[in-house]
Amino acid sequence: MKSLILKDLYNMGHNAKSMLFMLVVFAVCLMPSTGVEGFIVGSGVLCSMMVVTTFAFDDHCKWARYALVMPISRKDIVVAKFIVLVIFCAIGSLLGLVFGSVCGLLLKKITLSLMQISELLLVALASWMIAIIFGSMSIPLVLKYGSERGRMLLIVSVLIPAGIGFGIYKLLSVLGVAMTDQLIVTILCCSPIIAFLWSYVMYRIGYHIFAKQEL
Amino acid sequence: MDAILQVNNLTKHYPSFTLDHVTFDLPKGAIMGLIGENGAGKSTTINAILNLIHKDEGSVTFWGEELSSSKQLKEDIGVVFDGINFYETLTPAKVAKISAAAYKQWDESLFQDYIKRFELPTDKEIKTLSKGMKMKLSIAVALSHHPKLLILDEATSGLDPVMRDEILDVFMDFVQDEEHSIIMSSHISTDLEKIADYITFIHQGKVLFCKSKDELRYNYGIIRCGAALFEAIDKEDILTYRKDDYQWNVLVADKEKARRKYKNAVVDNATIDDILLLYVKGEQAK
Repeated sequence: MKSLILKDLYNMGHNAKSMLFMLVVFAVCLMPSTGVEGFIVGSGVLCSMMVVTTFAFDDHCKWARYALVMPISRKDIVVAKFIVLVIFCAIGSLLGLVFGSVCGLLLKKITLSLMQISELLLVALASWMIAIIFGSMSIPLVLKYGSERGRMLLIVSVLIPAGIGFGIYKLLSVLGVAMTDQLIVTILCCSPIIAFLWSYVMYRIGYHIFAKQEL
Repeated sequence: MDAILQVNNLTKHYPSFTLDHVTFDLPKGAIMGLIGENGAGKSTTINAILNLIHKDEGSVTFWGEELSSSKQLKEDIGVVFDGINFYETLTPAKVAKISAAAYKQWDESLFQDYIKRFELPTDKEIKTLSKGMKMKLSIAVALSHHPKLLILDEATSGLDPVMRDEILDVFMDFVQDEEHSIIMSSHISTDLEKIADYITFIHQGKVLFCKSKDELRYNYGIIRCGAALFEAIDKEDILTYRKDDYQWNVLVADKEKARRKYKNAVVDNATIDDILLLYVKGEQAK
């Protein structure tokens, strides 16, 4: 398992400079319209997509068939991809928090108050979880359709969870439950549980697909 | 025979190809060459042995155990495919770290020895290495966790003769330990003639024979003759035959017997290539 994670980190480490450059471009484009919060979430989601790139690298060198001749199981390979996703999402959200805060201070969009800092930390946590939820679905999609087609289907991994979230929001509206600040904070606090459950379901689907694959 | 690997009735069906009840044993201390034309089923056999594809029938056991039952078994098996399976931006040093994290038996000093022996740079990206160097790196990784069995799928293809010779020497060293064995598929029959103890010939998904190389080298022969003599040859003696423009080439399993029996015929020694060609292109005696 450790070797699989190490391999993906090394592979992506090579692209770190271009990823940082993209985040800077992203900051310039997003910050004026979405503010610091939008940028943090955007960074997290952007970095979650790197997991698809790791699959592309794996396909390029037929890694999966080699990994399976090592003391590594198919289950290990799928679990490792989810761990790598969690790491990438954390890196994305953290970088978003740091870049966003610096740019926000420079553009005078935020102030260095305790309230503001705790708000941004909560947004970074939410960004991490949102990115995991979006990224989780990309793993079974790529396992099923391959990295090339999976990349095109990436939008599905954003639309389905977003659609489910929107559906729940509408349902709550119909039931007369108002979206109060307290409810939003409760949802944010529950987001790690939601992300874990969603990822577990995606892991089960991903493993089911990969277990049947011939390499 | 004390077998490291036992393949029994291994069968895999595809819409246009069937690997058909492949059976052979690989003894300890031996090198077995898998030969056959392109698409004969060599790589499918290796993939099925390694559990990379799901077999429809049959069994594969390493030291009497199925591969799926234990991760420890994989520690004892080194595999080299026809290309390197690490992404091209990695360096040999990073490859070693990844491999060290995968194998409990990883021996870093042994890896460094191979790196020195193969004159590989540790800090250059794989994409800057030549094909031969990439293959040497794959072999170094495969050998650095103290495997007892090496499985090589076209590992020497695309290498120049000097580099192949160097790599074949490494394989010969590896089997000096009588607990070690190698199974290798190759198109390069001269490599197998140099190092293999056994030859398993796969044709159209079936094992045509699994024999010791010496038996093939010292017993098999080719009768070169004209039509009249060909008609006189006992059909029981013919394994397969092929007609060239003015000559019949007849593969026989006992060349000395053929020399005694058909005194007017020229009976040549048969190389592995000759045997393969006659089986694939020739006709079976009726």
